Amino acid sequence: MSLNPEKVTPDEYVSRAGAETTNSMEIFHNRAHFWGRLTLFTLIIMCFIPPIYMSFILDAHPGWGAIFTGLVGYAGFIGIMWILEPITYYPTLGIAGTYLAFLTGNIANMCLPCSVSAQKAIGAKSGSRKAELAGVFGIAIASLVNIVVIVLIILGGTYILSIIPPAVEDAFAFVLPAIFGAVLGQFAYKTPLYGGIALAVGMIVLFSPIFSLIKIVVCVVITIAIILYLEKQKD
Amino acid sequence: MSNETMNIANSAPLWIMAFIFVGIVMFQAIVFLRIAKKSAPGIGMTSKEVKTAIRTGFISSIGPSFAIAIILVSLIALLGSPLTLMRIGIIGSAATESAAAEIGANAFGVGLNSDNFSISAFTTVVWTMCLGGMGWLLFTAFFTKSLGNTQKKIEKKNPKIMAAVSSAAMLGAFGYQASDQMVLSVTHTIAGLAALSSMVLIMLIADKVNFAWLKEWALGIAMVIGMASAYFTTLF
Repeated sequence: MSLNPEKVTPDEYVSRAGAETTNSMEIFHNRAHFWGRLTLFTLIIMCFIPPIYMSFILDAHPGWGAIFTGLVGYAGFIGIMWILEPITYYPTLGIAGTYLAFLTGNIANMCLPCSVSAQKAIGAKSGSRKAELAGVFGIAIASLVNIVVIVLIILGGTYILSIIPPAVEDAFAFVLPAIFGAVLGQFAYKTPLYGGIALAVGMIVLFSPIFSLIKIVVCVVITIAIILYLEKQKD
Repeated sequence: MSNETMNIANSAPLWIMAFIFVGIVMFQAIVFLRIAKKSAPGIGMTSKEVKTAIRTGFISSIGPSFAIAIILVSLIALLGSPLTLMRIGIIGSAATESAAAEIGANAFGVGLNSDNFSISAFTTVVWTMCLGGMGWLLFTAFFTKSLGNTQKKIEKKNPKIMAAVSSAAMLGAFGYQASDQMVLSVTHTIAGLAALSSMVLIMLIADKVNFAWLKEWALGIAMVIGMASAYFTTLF
């Protein structure tokens, strides 16, 4: 731990930063791997309990054939995302962010927006150590808030929702474009060109005849390629 | 869902399991908050910045959380509360999960809404949703370490590249997500553009007059402006 935190300039990249910075980040990553894996594996084991309970304790086993058909159907529908999503989001989430976001879910519509907001609020540069930690704080708190809200709504049931004015509920129909537009704006205000490029690539890929699930990956790859190319031109 | 199935779907053992799931998610979030807090001074993050990051995460997550909760109510009617809590609280979104439930029910040869949605049909749905959602957990549990090592290798060669890749990946993902939503209707386009431009405006103002707190509220304000503008255009 540094006794003199102010001495370390916040946005330095790892190779240029002091040994202490690298060291505390190393410790942080090791802890994140340990706790991340422990919680994920615990949850993986837990995932078997409800189906086993239903099948063999309540004796409602539907037969392995039906279960297999269901799982194959599910895998065919979205299985490719099991691999593509973690890889696509890793560069923005980082190590700890990945463990958090893939346990709690709602990555694009909650975790990432909260991560970016926390990073921008303290003015941390994308990809820096400080940004990584700020993102972790943002996602961890979002995960807690989300679970508390969900539990409240489930326990309070429809009552809580019934006191929400209908106008507000109607407005929530537009929550997704509003979140995604706002996050894009968070990047576009510093680099409007890149924001425009991302939106243009998004539109082009959206209307391209590509298998729809991998469109987002194609979009991320193309945007990375274009921006890296433009950054190289600058140097 | 038949009454009998609904009773089982809302029975005590399933509630207990659901709360264990929720407990794991909360435990993980708290552990990560603590280890991040411990490492913050070492990388030059002041305690003021830690507080700002936490406050911003809190403010920014309220809107999205309610949006998630509103969709979740439709799932409760289909699957009962405990299974909904297990699936939405953990990896997965409302849209994916309703499709997953339908796939599971069809595998048993019934529709989700049909009267002959028996306990065995419900059990098929539970298997499909619980094991299907595990794919992401398995991949992240096994391969996040390799992703981290790859990142470190790239950074050693070229320290600047990760920063560019990181924000470009984000831009690409949200460029697509925003496009995908905005083409749904003119009103969706208005919501997206209004949120985007108000965000740019808020950030510019915050920089100009040095209102740091404004940045903490930026996502919430921009979201509300986007949703409100869209809503008002539907009134005409």
